[in-house]
Order: sequence, then C-alpha cells, then structure tokens
Amino acid sequence: MMKKVTIHPVTRVEGHGKVTIAIDEDGHVERTRLHIVEFRGFERFVQGRPYWEAPVVVQRLCGICPVSHHLAAAKACDVIVGVGPDGLSPTAEKMRRLMHYGQMLQSHALHFYHLCSPDLLFGFDSDVTKRSVLAVAAEYPELAVRGVLLRKYGQELIQATAGKKIHGTGAIPGGINKHLTVTERDHFLKDIDQMIAWSVASVELVKKVHSKNPAFFDSFGSFPSNHLSLVRKDGALDFYHGNIVAVDKDGNKILDQVDYANYLDYIGEAVRSWSYMKFPFIKSLGKANGWYRVGPLARLNTCDFIPSELAQKEFEIFRAYTGGKPNNFSLHYHWARMIEMLHSAEVIKSLLNDPDLMAGELVRTGKKVNEGVGLIEAPRGTLFHHYRINEQDQITMCNLIVSTTNNNDPMNKAVEVTAKQFLEGREVTEGLLNHIEVAIRAYDPCLSCATHALGQMALDVELVDAAGRRISRLTRGV
Amino acid sequence: MSDKLGFTIDGKECEADKGRSILEAAADNGVYIPHLCFMKKLRPVGSCRVCTIKANGRNAAACTTPLADGMVIENNTDELNDLRRAIIEMLFAEGNHFCPSCERSGSCELQALAYRLNIMAPRFPYMFPLRKLDATHKSIFIDGNRCIQCGRCVRAASELDGKEILGFIGRGGKVRVKASSTRGLAGVDISPNDECVKACPVGSIIVKETAYRVPIGQRQYDATPIGADVESGKA
Amino acid sequence: MPKPKIATCSLAGCFGCHMSVLDIDERILKLAELVEFDKSPINDIKNFTGECLVGLIEGGCCNSENVEVLRSFRKNCKILISVGECAIMGGLPSMRNGIPLKECLDEAYLNGPSVVDGQIPNDPELPLILDRVYPCHEVVKIDYFLPGCPPRADLIWNALVALLTGQPADLPYEVIKYD
Repeated sequence: MMKKVTIHPVTRVEGHGKVTIAIDEDGHVERTRLHIVEFRGFERFVQGRPYWEAPVVVQRLCGICPVSHHLAAAKACDVIVGVGPDGLSPTAEKMRRLMHYGQMLQSHALHFYHLCSPDLLFGFDSDVTKRSVLAVAAEYPELAVRGVLLRKYGQELIQATAGKKIHGTGAIPGGINKHLTVTERDHFLKDIDQMIAWSVASVELVKKVHSKNPAFFDSFGSFPSNHLSLVRKDGALDFYHGNIVAVDKDGNKILDQVDYANYLDYIGEAVRSWSYMKFPFIKSLGKANGWYRVGPLARLNTCDFIPSELAQKEFEIFRAYTGGKPNNFSLHYHWARMIEMLHSAEVIKSLLNDPDLMAGELVRTGKKVNEGVGLIEAPRGTLFHHYRINEQDQITMCNLIVSTTNNNDPMNKAVEVTAKQFLEGREVTEGLLNHIEVAIRAYDPCLSCATHALGQMALDVELVDAAGRRISRLTRGV
Repeated sequence: MSDKLGFTIDGKECEADKGRSILEAAADNGVYIPHLCFMKKLRPVGSCRVCTIKANGRNAAACTTPLADGMVIENNTDELNDLRRAIIEMLFAEGNHFCPSCERSGSCELQALAYRLNIMAPRFPYMFPLRKLDATHKSIFIDGNRCIQCGRCVRAASELDGKEILGFIGRGGKVRVKASSTRGLAGVDISPNDECVKACPVGSIIVKETAYRVPIGQRQYDATPIGADVESGKA
Repeated sequence: MPKPKIATCSLAGCFGCHMSVLDIDERILKLAELVEFDKSPINDIKNFTGECLVGLIEGGCCNSENVEVLRSFRKNCKILISVGECAIMGGLPSMRNGIPLKECLDEAYLNGPSVVDGQIPNDPELPLILDRVYPCHEVVKIDYFLPGCPPRADLIWNALVALLTGQPADLPYEVIKYD
C-alpha cells in the first residue's frame, strides 16, 4: 500500500503550488514533487503587441516584484532601441536603481516579516492559528510594525520612481520618465537612517534565531548545489546589472563573467509532465547535474564583496561561517536576505544624495535592432527577459526565465530532503507538513511569476491506497 | 437681444447665442454634458449617444440638437447618467480595453468618462473579440482592440487634414476603422502631427515610441475628472 | 460578539491585489481589530473555519481549480468582492482569450528558445486549464467590485471599513482607477 500526502495550497508563499509525497508501506518517502499548477501564456499573448508595452504588460506576472519584470523588460528594450545596457543617461540608470533597490527592501521585508517570521518566532509546528503576521503583531508588535514600515518605505520609493506602488510605468525604452523632486528626496532622506538601523536589527534577529539551534538550522532541508547570479565586473554584489557567474558547491567557477546577451549558449530549460514550471540548468553540465540555486544565498556565494560598509561587515561574518566556501544551508537564505536588505538600505542612502536624480537627461535613443535580452537580479534571483520584434515594432518572440523558475529543482530537492528528514516512519501531522512548507518558503518562491501566475497553498493530506482510494484525510484548519 | 436664447439646464437659468447646439450652449454656461464622439472643430454626428439629454421632456443628442428659446433641459439626472453608464459599459465590454497596460490610460476619454460616472464594473458580459492591429506604418499604428468606432479620426482626416485616408468598413457590430489602402496605414499619407491622429479619444491611434512618457499622477485625468475644465470655465 | 471573519484568495491573479491590501501599512493592525482573518494565503488557515462575512477575490478563473475555489468562497462568504481588474474582467491574462490554448502551451513548453526536449505538462495532479479566462461574476454572483490594477490601498481600506462599520464609503476621485 502506498500512501500519498498532498499539501495544497502551500501558504505564505507567493504562488499557486501543491506538494505530493508518496510514502511506501514501510514508511519510506518514495517520491516528492512540488507541482506548480498555474499557467498564463504570456509568451504567446504578447506576440503582436508593440515592444514598448512589454515593461508594462509583463510586470503583471507578479505583483510582489513587478519592478524586476518592469526593469528586466526595459533593459531588453534598451538593447532594442540601440541604447544598450551601458548607454543609459546617469539620471535614468540611477532612478532605475533607486526603484530597484527600493523594491529589494520592500520585498525582503515582506518575505521575512510578513511571511516567514511566524515560523521563525513561534516554531515550525506551532499552532496553525498563530502562523500569520497578525499573530506576530499581537505578540511582537514592535517587530510587526518594523516589518510594515520597512516595506512601506520601499513601496513609497517605488511610487516616487514608477508613479505607483505596484505596476508603475517609470522605466521606458532607453530611459526613465521622471526625475525625483527635492520634496520627495527630503522625505526619504528623513527616514533612511532608521531603515538602515532596522535592517541591521533584522540581520541580528536572524543570527539570534540561528544561534538557538545551529545544528538544526544548518541541516534543515540542506543539500549541496551550484549557485548562479549576476555579478558586477569587479566581483561586487549588484542587483541591477552585471555578468553571469556560476559556482559549484565548493566554489569552483562554472561560468565566469559571461555576457548575458548570450544566455542561450549556457542555459537550457527542461520540462516535466507534472509541473507548469520549467527546470533550468547549465547546458555544459546537463539536465541531471546542471541545476543551480539563485537568490540571496546564491548571490552571496557568487560575489566577492558587497560594496557598502555595514553589509560588507555582515558578509564577512556570513562567509567566515562556511570557511569562505559557498554556503549550502537552505535556511541561510533568510540570513543572506537580511544582509541584502541592509545593503539595499545603504545603497538607497547613497543614491538619495546624488544630484543626478533631480536633473539631467531622461531618455536616449540609438540605432534600433530587432532583438534584446535583459537580465536583472530580482529579490528571488536572476530574471531573464528576451524579446524579438519585427520591422513593424511588434513582438514576435518573448522568452522569460523567472527567478523562482531557476529555483524549481532546488525547491523540489528541499521538499525531498525535508520529507526524508521529518516524515520517514512517522505519523504525519499538520505541524510536520508545515516543515515542508518552511523549506519551500526559504526560497521565497514567487510561484506566480514562475508560471506567469500567483497564489497560495491550503493543506489537504490524503492517504490513499495503491488503487488511489482514500483511506483517511487530514485537512489543515482549526 | 434677439440673437440670445434663454433656457434652463437642471433648473439653472442660462443664456446662449442663437445657432449653438445644446452641448455647446451648456458649455458656454459652465455646464458639462458628457460626450465622446463630439469634438470641437468637427461636424457633430450624434453617433455615440453619450450626450443624450432631455429637451422639453424628450431624449435628444445634445451635440446635434440646436438650442431653442425657452428650452427646459435635463442633464445631470440619475436616469440619464445610468443611460450614459450603460453606453460606456457596452463599449468596454465589446472591445478589448486593457487599461492596466494601455499607453493612453490616464489620458483616455472613455476611461475618464467611466471614472466620472463611477463605473465599477460593466453589467454586460465581455465579448473578447478578435481585433487586428495595423502596425504597417513606420510611426503610427491603429489598435483595433481599443477602437470605439466614434469616427472622430475619419471626420478629422477629411474635414481638418483634407485627406480621405481613413474610413469605416463593415456593418453593425463588425464596423471597423481602416486606412484607405490595401497596404494599410503604410499605404496612406499620414503623419504624427495630423489632426486625425490627435482626434482619437482612446488608445487606438497611437504615435509609435512615445508611450508612457507622462508619469502616472501627471496624466490628463489622474487628478481632475473629465469635464472639469468646462465646469471651471477654462475650456 | 465575535469579530466578523474575512477570507481572501488569489485565483488567476498576480498577487498585486494582496500586496495592495498590505499597502494599507499600519492600518493592517486596525484591520486586525475589526476582523479576524480566515482562509487566506497570508496565514496557514487552508480551509474555511465557518461562515465569513467578506471574501476578497483576486484574479479571474483560468483553470478548473480557480472555479472550485471561487464556488467554495461563494458558499462560505456572505459578501463576495471582486478585487482588481483580473477578477472583474480577466485582466491581462485574458489577453489569451481568442488565442487557442494549444498555441499558448506550445509557445511556453515546446517553442521557447531555451527549452530542451520540450513536452506539454499533462499530469493528473495539474488542474485543467479553461478555454479562456473568465471574469469572476461570470462564474458566481459577485456583490461588489473594486477596480484597479491593483486597486489603490485607500480604495480597499475605505470600502472594507464602510462594509464593516455600516458607514457609507468615502471614495475620492483619485482612488478609483482602472490601471
């Protein structure tokens, strides 16, 4: 008799997914799968639309990190209009960076405080009614308010640069459509030191949670893997622009500063019958071994340093923890994420003091070409946008490899490892199943983006016999 | 005084020159009558019916009905506004109006009328028709998805630009604006500064590569409703 | 007097509407005083615990599961609100209406330039995709509509407070937008 356990929908992540776990008669985990059940069809329905609509249309893949899509598409359009990734005016590039780093701040704050802090503060198998940001607000009001205000600050930066908090229009092919006003700048400068202080406190909080039980924290859902991200030419962490760097589990370079315009030479996507999310891999290593992780953990494993003072200090501590080698501990995504949030706050401060934001050229044009690739480091990892257009400015091909899609194999791996760690030979409880979700949540998956969709996961566990007949059922609820 | 006519709109005593339509006479007195196919400088055709008012108790299109002395006009009433809402809602339901990504959003007259009339969602089922895009011209395109067949571009081309380059084809629900060439827009003499290009109230006729230049918040109807200029006497 | 319950879900949406709910910022704590959150992606309550006063629906219906969830919301919520353009008219995902579904799937899983050995996912665990994206009120009765992509946080806040306190909603011109 084979038991099947289903977690559906997975909650407190951004996306529509479900997990199935098959357990054999001896209680061994036979097979685990994270199914992404949403499909949108963006690649097809943007065909025929004028290319300049892409940054505005395609950002509707995701309401959590729309800025990433907006900017990745805009970067692809920069190439199409002949300005290229390095040809923007200083004003345009800095305004875009301000928008992007503001988004990093809000997205990382949202993920940590609104979505994950209940697990970290109350425990992975705490009472289900406690696992929400509102419960955090009731018990740790100061923390919840900190999370809310960090996110608010980032959202307001996005509004000031893109015109609105979610799905704005700031970036246009070849530039940006507005300056920052003096009033806006002063408004943000007033609070930036507070944001930096709160970000420092957030890094400390993760370290504190970790120090309570380092062995558990390090082993939870962990496995060795390759890591990939964009890195600035000099090896610095950069969320807006860079070349592709990939390292293996020991830190050996697989891809070293390759130009992302040629991403098709290096990256392929496998398709499996049971998920609408594709499975990217590094071509030279093949489907079986070429998969990699992206996002905060991968970025701190691929870069050499962080170009801001306080975050660099934390980065050194982070690196020292694994003896300078890549960190392969899944839950350390949280640690890396908070270091990135701190870096974002520091970068925002230095940008706000730059007069280029307030004046200067907004848009540039060049000689048009019919194809453009744009990559960016989204909060959840490397995001690929690629468009081809015809002579009449209409999109003829659109290819998107979304951050979370890059993490598809790793998330499946995390589910498998966690299921084997915690479910083998035990009676399945709701709390144990939340462990699986905790493993998925560490990746901050935006499953919406990934399938060009979005949503949640409830819990519905079915135990079925070999013929698929239900024997018993456990539903999550009160 | 014989060239002045007296009338009332919603009980307000007004006066206007002889020969004015009800819509123009109302505007002269700071009263805005919602309209879509009407445009200053163009011959009124009364095709959209958004400007329907009651003149002496009978429904009439304000843009094509001449003002008469002593007329009693109803404009801002629940009944008429609901009729207008129904027309706007039908236009939204029968085309493909994706405001979220449309480059005219915020400066679109159809959208602005819907805002002014407080439309939250249409009462009619969406038709999701298959419409074409004419992108053949190097600097202008027509997106059929967003066209509301008001005919302003057709009239402006003919009456203001003096070019017979745009016209209607088809009948009933299938009526479409088309360029008068088998090669589409690429085959006609049209340029971004033509009145027919500026006449489009929605995002159907668009000058290429000028999208999203105005930041959200600064677009035509972001902060002030359509018709506010008439009501404040600035029109 | 127990607090009224509120439930939320995201069907074929992008989560932007949920994010806009969070954009009420500090007022979320006030909202927690007014209501208790039931089934929602922001907590771990995965099934209704009882009748809810309000259900907020983000997204239209693009697959069989969306329809099921929407129907369960209709059954368990006294008042259903379509939040955002996707719930109201299908939103940008409905740009695929009129394109054969097969073409959309082929483009993503067979023709994509980075796809290696493509196939169309077809596992029984995956819900069936509908022929087109349906606005929510074409599937169940919807009581109220909050337009926007996403609706402005102030619109969501004002509408919810009005509903929960029985006061008329204060909706200034700036908060009702379709983009």
